Amino acid sequence: MTSATAPPGTGCATAPRAPDEPRRGLLSGRAGRAAGLASAGLVLAAACALSLVTGNYALSFTDAVSALVAPAGSEADRIVWQVRVPRTATGVLAGVGLGIAGAVMQGLTRNPLAGPGILGVNAGAAFAVVVAMSVFQVGALTGYLWFSFAGAALAAVFVYALGSLGAGGAAPVKLALAGAALSAMVGSATTAITLLDPSALDGFRFWTVGSLTRADTGQLLVAAPAVLVGLCLAAAVRRELNTVALGEDMARGLGTRLASTRALGAAAVVLLAGAATAIAGPITFVGLVVPHIARALTGPDYRWIMPWCLLLAPAVLVLADVLGRVLIRPEQLQVGIVTGLIGAPFFIHLVRRRKVAQL
Amino acid sequence: MAPVSSCSPRAACAMAGVVLLAGCGAPAPEQSVGEDAVTRTNCGIDVAVEAPPERVYAAYQPGIEVAHALGLSDRLVGTAFLDAEVLPEYADEQAAADYVPTLPSREGLLETDPDFVISGFNGFFAENSPDRSVGTRASLRELGVQSWILSPLCPSEDGLTDRAIDPESVRVDSVYRDLRDLGALFGAEDEAERVIADMRERIAAVEAKVEGAERPSVAIVSPGEDGGYRVASGVDFGTRIIEHAGGVNAFADLTGKRNVDVGVEELVERDPDVILTDACCDAEMTTQDARDEVRAIKSDPALEGVAAVAEGEVHPFLFADRAAGVRAAHSIELVASRIHPDLVEQ
Amino acid sequence: MTPQDREALVLRSPRARVVFVLGRRSTVLAAAVWLLAGGAAVLSLTLGQYDIGVGGVLRVLAGGGSLIEYDVVVRNRLPRALTGLGAGAAFALSGAVLQRISANPLVSPDVIGVNSGAAFGALTVLTVYGGTGLHTAAGALAGAAATAGAIFALSAGRGLSGYRLVLVGIGVAAMLTSAVSFLLTRADYHRVLAASAWLTGSLANRSGLHVAIVAATLAVAAPVLVVLARRIRLLELGDDLAGMLSGRTASPRLAPAAVAVALAAMATAAAGPIGFVALVAPQIVRRLLPGRGALLAPAAAVGALLVVAADLAARLPFTPVELPVGVMTGVLGAPVLLYLLARANRIGHTG
Repeated sequence: MTSATAPPGTGCATAPRAPDEPRRGLLSGRAGRAAGLASAGLVLAAACALSLVTGNYALSFTDAVSALVAPAGSEADRIVWQVRVPRTATGVLAGVGLGIAGAVMQGLTRNPLAGPGILGVNAGAAFAVVVAMSVFQVGALTGYLWFSFAGAALAAVFVYALGSLGAGGAAPVKLALAGAALSAMVGSATTAITLLDPSALDGFRFWTVGSLTRADTGQLLVAAPAVLVGLCLAAAVRRELNTVALGEDMARGLGTRLASTRALGAAAVVLLAGAATAIAGPITFVGLVVPHIARALTGPDYRWIMPWCLLLAPAVLVLADVLGRVLIRPEQLQVGIVTGLIGAPFFIHLVRRRKVAQL
Repeated sequence: MAPVSSCSPRAACAMAGVVLLAGCGAPAPEQSVGEDAVTRTNCGIDVAVEAPPERVYAAYQPGIEVAHALGLSDRLVGTAFLDAEVLPEYADEQAAADYVPTLPSREGLLETDPDFVISGFNGFFAENSPDRSVGTRASLRELGVQSWILSPLCPSEDGLTDRAIDPESVRVDSVYRDLRDLGALFGAEDEAERVIADMRERIAAVEAKVEGAERPSVAIVSPGEDGGYRVASGVDFGTRIIEHAGGVNAFADLTGKRNVDVGVEELVERDPDVILTDACCDAEMTTQDARDEVRAIKSDPALEGVAAVAEGEVHPFLFADRAAGVRAAHSIELVASRIHPDLVEQ
Repeated sequence: MTPQDREALVLRSPRARVVFVLGRRSTVLAAAVWLLAGGAAVLSLTLGQYDIGVGGVLRVLAGGGSLIEYDVVVRNRLPRALTGLGAGAAFALSGAVLQRISANPLVSPDVIGVNSGAAFGALTVLTVYGGTGLHTAAGALAGAAATAGAIFALSAGRGLSGYRLVLVGIGVAAMLTSAVSFLLTRADYHRVLAASAWLTGSLANRSGLHVAIVAATLAVAAPVLVVLARRIRLLELGDDLAGMLSGRTASPRLAPAAVAVALAAMATAAAGPIGFVALVAPQIVRRLLPGRGALLAPAAAVGALLVVAADLAARLPFTPVELPVGVMTGVLGAPVLLYLLARANRIGHTG
């Protein structure tokens, strides 16, 4: 199919390859990492604070803080509590879901290009929701949630199965291409449904670009438990991800049960990415990029990568949303467009610095 | 882009091959205008008819209602895209007309063999648009099909769409002029004058009642699926309706386009005294159906403090009601009865 | 010498500067598929919401019929069909050239983001400068060239063959799609900009200008490709051999790649970024003529047929709603990409 000039396959499954990242991150030592983690927490806190004070309704920092801590029923309180807090919470919840899902995917597939956006999981979930709305007339978010999970699961299984065919297992390029192809296909199908059912056009448009302004508090409360369960599952496999990184044979030799690790990890990905997409729509690149930043900072140990993603991914998503609020006032730019614009260059950077043999 | 005359790029014909070469000789379009033709200018385009048109296609609510108002109902060969139920006085006529809920393609329009097209929206004649356009008015005129856009929605040039509106044309007077001109073209001058007189009288009555009263700020608002809201801007005819009814549009300063998507915070910031909904686009829609939007706006906790919500001044209103057309008198009465209930009875 | 080559007809210019080899099988295939594509185009002249029939179309083409019939057939359906044929051929040629010189079936202008770049360029001209017509085409060309340049530069040092280029292209395409969404939501434009045209590709309401854009592009590109054909064949043998045989070393791929990018750009200017045609058409030719690279003439024919047929499938079944043709090629073409991946993965070449 491809000619001899194509790079030869590197058998992920057959030979443990050198880790993609430097063994050590920028921060080393327990104390250094802990301090770094604390500062990541500060970044998240700052992002949330920025999100609470930024918007069309002019509100000073002190006003916003007093509205937050001592609401007295004023207009400022409502702006903070009914607009900016749900919006920020959506960003945090979706960010956590996407970031951790990305880290688990990258660990499980030992694939630096894995992430819920690139691998088509978000597109699959969004398509399932559009089908739910148009074909099954599902109205409530609780209903969407199940379709979102099912779509995420089907897309993940499909892309992984397709990408794992043949020698070399689930190599980065195979997964990324399978994900891109699946995204293109369900994207076209989503457009077709949208055009054929114009009465519901407005409702669907949201599902082609991610946004943090749609979910209300009730809907967040439905999605939060799913994210929480996903987090627990991801935490349960964090050690195993480290041994998986050494190669399947090595992992088996160290006593890791690969089958159960994969099952738990996959369930975590479906819950996290599915819930994130259900509340925010398809958001690309956050799940791909943040684990890389975490790895660069803290090294390849997933016990450290996970908490970093937990703090950084929501910070990135919330900051992208803040950017979308100020760029085109008084209108707003959906967060999915912002992450696409700023995330893609990072993806290209990742692709570039890898040796061809690894792609 | 200038309209390209038939087969002008020779390459087109060459590519078509021998079979199609014959097609390049186009029948000559009948451009000559006789002595006794009636000519009126609409949006900078001369519209000339030798005799009153007999096969009329009407698109969008205002176009369809104007056709009925002028007594052209039995000349309608097709109608498309209602935003709501037509006014009760035209209900029987509309029930008898051919109707499609989606706008026709150029082929779909030509299939009805019209000689005149009235549109309530300029996008219908947009150029090179793959969506919802039947081609420029110039291209239709070449087929002997005359066309009319209700002039509060005149684009600055044939083939452009609503972002190019001249704010000066967005006034009720423009509707009168349209009615008068269309009446002349269709030989329905008497009906036109009757409709105009009726509208003038009703609007003047409202204005007399609200004169001197305090003018509340009014926003025409539709909840978006994205958590935000879509509002009618200063270049929308709704602004004039609100003014005649004794209010001011809270978003009158936005003039870039007719409908603007704003975040909920912008709505809170503007704090309108009255909110009118903007329910749309179904031929069976009535004010009753707008109550879903009223509920959605009232139940948004972020809007609790907005004067209109706090005072219970969120009223069902239809997108069709803010359109520029014969509905204007009805809409102005409706809005006045909402924002000045003490002065104007419902 | 393969048996096919012995059946070939060889045309030489004086002093053998241009050697034109016409393989018999490829010529027969190209002719047959062009006939099919022409047939589909003629069929599309007779089908549609306006009921006119074969007799009516013939009457119009003979110079008869009413003004409205003439408009429907000659000024609506004909430019639509011709733009479809031309854009399909241009996309397919672009894909075939890129796939051959990169020896990689995934390096096609739609997959690596050249189409998105052209759409972004055209849209920028429309929204920021308010230009139309030929300006749009120039914008598409500039956008495609800049995108292609960026992709090639970002994946530099490994030639065109690496998967790095494909992945960089996917990233660039994602970014450009976001940028197009941004322009569509943002720009204070006074021209109609329908999202479907610039996000998926559409053949609705085409005019003579669109036909002229693709026709002129093909008229320029086809002879250039004939001249470059020998070099493209050499490039398939690998860089070193190609450099030796062609007697030149400096970027032997530059000229064919530039032609391919221009073809995709102009096709996008005329019809929007219709996806998967450039990817799929050469692959179909490879299946039909096994053992050969994707030959250009048959690939162009297959591309033309694909687009015209997809447009029929997009506009007829859902009357009065018409889908943009790009949706149909996306729904039908993406599975082909998935199949190609599955097949490549099974054989074990992709990793």
